[in-house]
Amino acid sequence: MKIFKFLTKSAICFAVSTGFLSFSANAQKKAVNLTDPEIASIAVTANQIDIDYAKIAERKSKDANVINFAQTMAKDHQSVIDQAVALVTKLGVTPKDNATSKSLKAGEAKTIKLLDSKSGKAFDKAYIDNEVGYHKAVIKEVETALIPDAQNAELKSLLQNVLPVLKSHLSHAEMVQKEVNK
Amino acid sequence: MKNNITELGIKLLLLFPVLFLFSCHSSDQQNAENHNSTDTITIQQMQFIPASLSVNKGDTIVWINKDMVDHTVKEEKSNGFYSDTIHVGKTWKMKATDSASYDCTIHPTMKGKIVIK
Repeated sequence: MKIFKFLTKSAICFAVSTGFLSFSANAQKKAVNLTDPEIASIAVTANQIDIDYAKIAERKSKDANVINFAQTMAKDHQSVIDQAVALVTKLGVTPKDNATSKSLKAGEAKTIKLLDSKSGKAFDKAYIDNEVGYHKAVIKEVETALIPDAQNAELKSLLQNVLPVLKSHLSHAEMVQKEVNK
Repeated sequence: MKNNITELGIKLLLLFPVLFLFSCHSSDQQNAENHNSTDTITIQQMQFIPASLSVNKGDTIVWINKDMVDHTVKEEKSNGFYSDTIHVGKTWKMKATDSASYDCTIHPTMKGKIVIK
């Protein structure tokens, strides 16, 4: 029982410290649907956060697999941002800050603090573990909130096209995670 | 005069098989070229579609990137074909010479196959 409590506490601490619970703000308030400007803000923020993490990994890691993965994250998420910004500009939608995007930024600050405190193999492990958890959380949010709530058909289609990219990133992250944990 | 006509006749007779053989060869070559077609592999939703493509030797294969992110096409064996980055909305093509397995170097979970019939 004590072990169970300890594991539960540890899991919660880890999730909070690495920002996995950042999406819970919206998950808990799912009764309120997101508007397109709010979805645009969440999409851009979530992608930018992963670019920020990637830049730290490119700077700190010495592991070729981790660096290669981080470079892919930086390029792919920038490509998604560029296309999202082009679309919302065309649609005349101005991204609007909301509880989820604010929660994401708060989670990012905690994760960056954690990543900055690590080095060597411990950093690689913290970075890639966070990538696995972060992508799982983002995929869930896109599937259960962003796509269902999107009103504009083009915005909904863009989010549907982002999903396979995120799922491929998750598989890639899990591959690298196995290597890092060897 | 009669000798000249005979000589011309013999020359024409000798020339005929040569012209015949040449025309056959040329027509065979044209047929072979006509048989070589172009096949397309679409890169979309982080997949090569179709994942396995059967082609004739000498066919041209075009990869078209309709995805949201950049991709590459690289043969799995060393010193094989490599596309370099295929940017979003761009294409890359090559002539198929052998069956091959390939992947995207940016996204290692994406894999494809070319099978020579």
